[in-house]
Amino acid sequence: MTPLEPPSPPGAPRVETLACPNCGAPLAVRSMGRAVTIVCDHCHFILDAKDPRLRILQRFEAAIEEEVPLIPLGSRGKWRGADYEVIGFQVRAMIMDDITYNWREYLLFSPYKGFRYFTEYDGHWNDASVVTALPEVQADSARYLGKKYKQFQTCFAKTIFALGEFPWQLRVDDSVEVADYIAPPYVLSSETAGNETTWTLGEYVYGADIWKAFGLAGLPPTPVGVYENQPSGLRASASQIWFTFAGLFTAIFVIFTLNQFFSKQEQVFQDTYAFSPSSTTEPSFVTPEFELKGRTSSVEVKTDADVSNQWLYLSYALIDEDTGQAYDFGREVSYYSGVDSDGRWEEGSPHDRVVLPSIPPGRYYLRVEPESDARSGAMRYAVTVTRDVPVLGIYLVALAVLLLPALLISWRTYNFEQMRWAESDHPMKTFGGGQ
Amino acid sequence: MIWNRLYLIYGIATVLLLGVGAWRGFSFTSVTEVKDLPMSIRDNPGSYRSIYSSYHHYTGGK
Repeated sequence: MTPLEPPSPPGAPRVETLACPNCGAPLAVRSMGRAVTIVCDHCHFILDAKDPRLRILQRFEAAIEEEVPLIPLGSRGKWRGADYEVIGFQVRAMIMDDITYNWREYLLFSPYKGFRYFTEYDGHWNDASVVTALPEVQADSARYLGKKYKQFQTCFAKTIFALGEFPWQLRVDDSVEVADYIAPPYVLSSETAGNETTWTLGEYVYGADIWKAFGLAGLPPTPVGVYENQPSGLRASASQIWFTFAGLFTAIFVIFTLNQFFSKQEQVFQDTYAFSPSSTTEPSFVTPEFELKGRTSSVEVKTDADVSNQWLYLSYALIDEDTGQAYDFGREVSYYSGVDSDGRWEEGSPHDRVVLPSIPPGRYYLRVEPESDARSGAMRYAVTVTRDVPVLGIYLVALAVLLLPALLISWRTYNFEQMRWAESDHPMKTFGGGQ
Repeated sequence: MIWNRLYLIYGIATVLLLGVGAWRGFSFTSVTEVKDLPMSIRDNPGSYRSIYSSYHHYTGGK
């Protein structure tokens, strides 16, 4: 009795070994009879895997230098919950504006899940599978399973290098029309050759995840630029941030309204004074004391002077009667006007207003020291002190502080999309209006 | 998502700061605080000169 062979563990890959009819090199067949063509690693003959004698279909000269797959054929790993093995590798090329762009495709096989592909261009990876339903193509978009994909690019592509086995009739240099539709992180691609169109759905994945899943040595290539379906980490954030900004703006508006409504705006002092700059007497004086009530809050000091083509400078000190604490500040009131060849002109204002920040309650008086041009005539001015007035400036600064990151993230998102669509058939319009 | 969360924290901090600032009457006016002035200023205002005295200013006009 012949002993029974121990059964293969579920999912374990089975490798058949054949010999190339041209060079005799061993050929590993890993896709369990699903291979349609096999490419010999050594002589680059494309062989008919369905023919027991491995009929030669085509021989190609590598249009590029011998390309070494970043993921070696035969690499095995667990991907999306299933065991896969890399069984085929091809380099494909498209020519746009006399520039040839090459990308690489790795064919993966799972005995239970079938085939899928990793594609790589400039360090950007996609995990792609043939779709099961037919997408609906519209004018500049395609719809698949209810999701809309925008048309990105249409070009002609051909295979220029291949290794391993493939479940289709691979021919080097045969041209197919490729159309990509994107909805990041997804890309829906059609490949049309003759009357036959194949659709695949790809999802942007990170090289590091592939390296980890397949236990590959070293590091994946660093991505260059922005790829067609690369997700923008900021795109979703930008719209959310503007939504958050709207909420914060509302909060600011509510605080502003409450502040306007509840500010006492209580006038606590007003008086009018005369000043003669030519006088030799000490110009400084103090006002009668007044009380600033309530919590620590703002104090507005208004100066209205009857200056005309004159200036008046007032050195103020708001002094706490009890503690001797002074808040020094200076204000200028100047107003000039006249008529010249351009007509009437004026400059400055006879009115000035300043809001002092966070003054504690207490009994205060003002020390006032006026100055002006000694040649100026006498002038009169009124000083008005008002407690607890709202300050618009801090609201504007708060809005600017909130706007800045929102604008920055929106700008970065815009730049990212600009870079993405710059590579497409439909580049975004720039701010300048051009394309 | 993380950016929005960070922005929300940043925004709430800004709004709270604004609320406190509005309540306490904050403004951006530059004021020089001087402590412990003598009571004699009340009777002799000329004995005190603030740093804003002796102003050299623009005379204005065309």
